[in-house]
Amino acid sequence: MKFYKDHYDVVIIGGALAGLSAALMLADKGKDVLVLERHNLPGGIATSFVRGGIEIEAALHEMMSIGPKDNRLKVGKFFDDMGVDIDWLKVPECYHASLPGLEVTLHPGLETFSREVDAAVPGTYDKVLRLLNLCTTVFDSVNELSVHPMSKPKMLLKHEAFVKTAGYSTQEVLDTFGLPQKALDLLAPYWIYVGTGFRELPFTIYSVLMADYVGYGSYIPHKFSHEMSLKMAERAEAMGVQIEYRQHVDKILVKDGRACGVRTARGDEIRADYVISSAYPNSVYTHMIEPADAVPPAAIKMVNGRRLSLSAFSVILILDRTAEELGIRDYSVFRGETMDTHACYDELKGLGPYRYITCICHNLANPDATPPGTCSYSITTLPRVDGWKTVTMDDYDRVKHEVARQLIDYMSAYLGVNLLDHVLECVIETPMTIAHYTGMWNGCIYGYAHTMDDHIIARLQTAGAEHFIDHLEFSGAHQISGDGMGPAVTNGRKAAKNVLDTMAKEAGK
Amino acid sequence: MKVKGFLKDVTGASRVTKARLAAFEQASAQPVRSDPIGDVARQLHPGKLLLRVTDIRDASKTAKTLRFEAADGRRLPLFQAGQYLVLDLDIGGSLVSRPFSISSAPADTCGAHSFVEITTRRSRGNGFVCDYLCSEAKVGDTFMAMVGCGQFYYEPLRDAKHVVALAGGTGITPFASMAREISLGRLDMDLTILYGSVSSDDIILKDQLDASACDRVHVVHVISGDEPSWQGERGFLSAELIRKYSAEDTTYFVCGPQVMYRFVHGELAKLNVPRRRERFEVFGQAKDITAFPGYPQELKDRTFRITVVRGIHEDVIDAKATESVAVALERARIPVETGCRSGECGFCRSKLLSGTVYVCPENDGRRAADKDFGYFHACSAYPTSDLKIRIPIL
Repeated sequence: MKFYKDHYDVVIIGGALAGLSAALMLADKGKDVLVLERHNLPGGIATSFVRGGIEIEAALHEMMSIGPKDNRLKVGKFFDDMGVDIDWLKVPECYHASLPGLEVTLHPGLETFSREVDAAVPGTYDKVLRLLNLCTTVFDSVNELSVHPMSKPKMLLKHEAFVKTAGYSTQEVLDTFGLPQKALDLLAPYWIYVGTGFRELPFTIYSVLMADYVGYGSYIPHKFSHEMSLKMAERAEAMGVQIEYRQHVDKILVKDGRACGVRTARGDEIRADYVISSAYPNSVYTHMIEPADAVPPAAIKMVNGRRLSLSAFSVILILDRTAEELGIRDYSVFRGETMDTHACYDELKGLGPYRYITCICHNLANPDATPPGTCSYSITTLPRVDGWKTVTMDDYDRVKHEVARQLIDYMSAYLGVNLLDHVLECVIETPMTIAHYTGMWNGCIYGYAHTMDDHIIARLQTAGAEHFIDHLEFSGAHQISGDGMGPAVTNGRKAAKNVLDTMAKEAGK
Repeated sequence: MKVKGFLKDVTGASRVTKARLAAFEQASAQPVRSDPIGDVARQLHPGKLLLRVTDIRDASKTAKTLRFEAADGRRLPLFQAGQYLVLDLDIGGSLVSRPFSISSAPADTCGAHSFVEITTRRSRGNGFVCDYLCSEAKVGDTFMAMVGCGQFYYEPLRDAKHVVALAGGTGITPFASMAREISLGRLDMDLTILYGSVSSDDIILKDQLDASACDRVHVVHVISGDEPSWQGERGFLSAELIRKYSAEDTTYFVCGPQVMYRFVHGELAKLNVPRRRERFEVFGQAKDITAFPGYPQELKDRTFRITVVRGIHEDVIDAKATESVAVALERARIPVETGCRSGECGFCRSKLLSGTVYVCPENDGRRAADKDFGYFHACSAYPTSDLKIRIPIL
């Protein structure tokens, strides 16, 4: 029996957001594409599942870079351009920040946000707005330069703020604004979505995050992230892409220094001109390349020279009361004992207690999220993989329940309601859960940490020299744009663009 | 604008690029292959394993317990007491798979002979897999199986500390596992099992249940048949009986035949049990799909054709209107992964390319977006026309 064609232009390993974005873009250019996904549905962690008859979001908190229908940002525009028609719901606020002595809800819009910070910390309006405007300027430059690269002198002229902040950490730039600590605390919560303390985090990344979320707000798909993943997959198939589920890729086949196909766990050998891998470079270079000696030492040095970023731990509760009845007022709450990002980061290296967390109540952006009279409430922390590496199969259930209970107790105290009295369904997701469903290296969903020695600008500048095997591209959180579901789409498109550029170059020879 | 000074500001990009290259230069060229988090995930969920039958013994006059160990001697995954395994069999010309609750305890996977046991009874009708296991299977036989599936287990963050289990027939198996795990001090809960049987001869796993009894595990046998010498509880699992054994805060776990589900559901309603305190194990395959509301009766004797697409390959098979698409595939010996056989787990998620299916309303565990795009769970969908479907290549 023959299940595959003799040859494909491109084989994509992984049918999550990055892989599907690459597939859409390549199919749009008429390429013959095969996507191999290990799970039996698309999306990776951008998915949902059904428990006790109730559909539950697996991972998505907020989708950035979407924008309203009449003013789409790049990810929203890509979906529109590709004919992926998602029923987006706007998330009502940026977040509610909860710190000892500080409870503030902040809404999108640069002026609105600045005004709300000012109301909590009087006299900061001008400085906060100036900071957000700087972030927006840098954000606009990043977006323009990613499409239209230009010479350095010209860049300095046209993108001065971007160039001049490029070499600095978030902390170094924030320091120049002279904001009081309380205001800085309110400007820190989105830090969790990059997971690098401010003294290490490139200001460029902070800018993009703040400008995008605060300037334009965020969105979620009406029927959970599975709606987004499935519509991408359906659209790709309609454009001629072959997607095969339940196919785990064991090996990437290399001949004469060039990727030429893959072998699945089932034993199928599939030939292709190009391979795009959503599997981490760590997996690829240490386990998947065949023959193994096709991996140059420089590739190993590159993965060893980078720091794996965060994984995730979530307790998702379906509660037998409405959000209103339980006093849950905000879609998204960031809570911590401190917003000292380095102290938060240190805490994430262990197995808890975790006190820097983010909570999402989907019903407050999507009233249909659960049946009438109930609501969903998820409590998430984003631990580093280090602590979890010590957990064995025999400890696993105990550890995950201890952590889950600590998080539930922490938020019960905050809400003044014992959440444990209202649990209809309880699902605990751990780094192991992520590794199980997606195969991601050490359960890491965040790729490599954005740091001053793994800066996005440096990634862009040296990307060309990091093609250690011809015709092998990577897509996913481990690529230039880093972690997050919006950046996943960007990373996938970048991989497809690299393939298309190489195809054009080689055709021109 | 200025951050620190013109020269330092404008050289930032080259500074960070140098820093990145320096970090790579200093890094080791020794491959780091370890993925301990992935390793634990693979130990817990190794996928299908080849298991060998190492023991078969009577669990009642009509029931048998089959013990399985990994054919390669490896340790079996640590499942949750109450979960099932999915057994693949090649019998009667069909490639079939069926879920069986594991009756042994998770602790039994931790010893030198890591094993799991299932307990099944000869059917009084269409249970050809149960019949095969009870009469044909022998020590040394091997089967592929996936160990540790399903959501029917005690969750301390959700359930009351005191659980009353309402069991009928082979529905005792998940509770036998829980009881043994509690008695070994490995599961922190109090369990009272109300186990309904027609006669005392029908009681399954009596020895294991007796051996598990302790201050946290109580087993109450309830006999419904006419048995004059019976000293214990009699009748059905009525509201009155359930109330007698309940604590102030109790979670009820229910597992048994479909008729018992309906009865117990009604009895629990009389006790005003909050929804979060009721846990029902999945039904299993509908015994008679034509009995469900909305089933198109006029089609029930029809046979349809299904074009099955796997990759670029197509097969055409026959399918009876009253049998699920999963059964049609199994009869045609096309590998299909199923788990719960109740529409819940989604292992058999498939795409309808053309045609129509009837989905069992009590077994519809699909995602909302999946419904919009014609996905169905093959174990709980029945053809109502010729179909074209796409399923994964296994």
